[in-house]
Amino acid sequence: MFELGTFIVSIVTFLIMFWIIKTYGFAPLARMLEQRRQLVEGQISEAEQNRLQAEKYLNEQHTLLEEARKQAKEIVDAARVRADEQAREIVAAAEAEAERLLESNRQLIERERAEAMSEVMATVSSLTVELSEKLLHRHADQAVHAEMVQEAEKMLGDLAC
Amino acid sequence: MPAFPYLFYNTIFRINIVTIAMMILTGIIVLVLLRLAQRNLDVRKPRGLQNFIEWAIDFTANMARDTMPSERMVQWILPLAFTMLIFLFVANWLGLIATISIKLNHPIPWLGLTAQNLAMAHGEVPLFDSPTANMSMTLGMAFMVWILSHAQGLRHPRQYFRHYRNPMAIIEEITNPLTHGMRLYGNIFAGEALIGVILTIPLIFGWLPVSIPLLLVWLLYSGFVSTIQAYVFTILMTLYVGHKSYGDQVDHA
Repeated sequence: MFELGTFIVSIVTFLIMFWIIKTYGFAPLARMLEQRRQLVEGQISEAEQNRLQAEKYLNEQHTLLEEARKQAKEIVDAARVRADEQAREIVAAAEAEAERLLESNRQLIERERAEAMSEVMATVSSLTVELSEKLLHRHADQAVHAEMVQEAEKMLGDLAC
Repeated sequence: MPAFPYLFYNTIFRINIVTIAMMILTGIIVLVLLRLAQRNLDVRKPRGLQNFIEWAIDFTANMARDTMPSERMVQWILPLAFTMLIFLFVANWLGLIATISIKLNHPIPWLGLTAQNLAMAHGEVPLFDSPTANMSMTLGMAFMVWILSHAQGLRHPRQYFRHYRNPMAIIEEITNPLTHGMRLYGNIFAGEALIGVILTIPLIFGWLPVSIPLLLVWLLYSGFVSTIQAYVFTILMTLYVGHKSYGDQVDHA
């Protein structure tokens, strides 16, 4: 049995009920769901951003590390070059010093030898003269004596050389 | 045939008081349920009833997504579809949980309880019943959906009228709301009617209650049907409205 009154009033009743349920029952839930959606979305995008940031930081660190490594290598290389130079310098200085010492010693020896030689020559020449005097039995006067010494020295000098 | 109390019984505009009262009761139950679910509303950790209602909303949204052309339309229909689903679910189950009738011997003519009607119903006057077990009510719901779908269609008159170059489409527009409403009414009314019949089976040999297992089986089945019919009515609603939602760029707000 179709009843027009029930038909129309039930539509009206349902619409009123729908409005009340929608306003007081459904809307807060829908708001909450929307909030959750936004929360989740925000967190996802935040996580994504964090990931990108982390990646960027990691790359930065990588480049920094690489740079540091390169710098360290440069420093070590430079130090090695300087050390080599210094070593060379030290060796050169030592060699020069040794050379100098050797030279001075050699000069000293030469001088001493020359002194000794001249002393020996003086002695030998005077001995020669004395020997000659004795052989000649006569006194050479002062002038002749000097002349003979001179002559002897000259001859000895020629000999010694 | 039970004798329902009516308002304006002698006019064409007769109103079934029990149906309308049960609709209001259903609405109150739904509202209380939703308000209970909103206690301790928590965005991060849904608990108990909130969880269940959220699942129901999600379920409705997915249902609408299957039948609606755009997400915008889904969000637009979601409050109505959700309300319809849960309202019909509660309404269908109310008649299963209990139907209350009183035995009335004195006719009350101004409520439509005339002597003749009471005699036909053996004095049985229902006071608590599924609102969906009333043909006028379910047809009213279907008519509402019909109006809604056509209002939606008329936002794009060109596409809307092009659809009716096929005369079969016009027949469909008449049968759709009829079957939409009658399906719900038939299922729920049949369920309740059979429960009433089973309850009147007498004890065999005066002590063997043969009606109890029958009643249990039929209650289980009716519960299943009640749930399914709420779902079917709602998905058909989204389908009908979705069919007439032409174009995606419309502002439905």
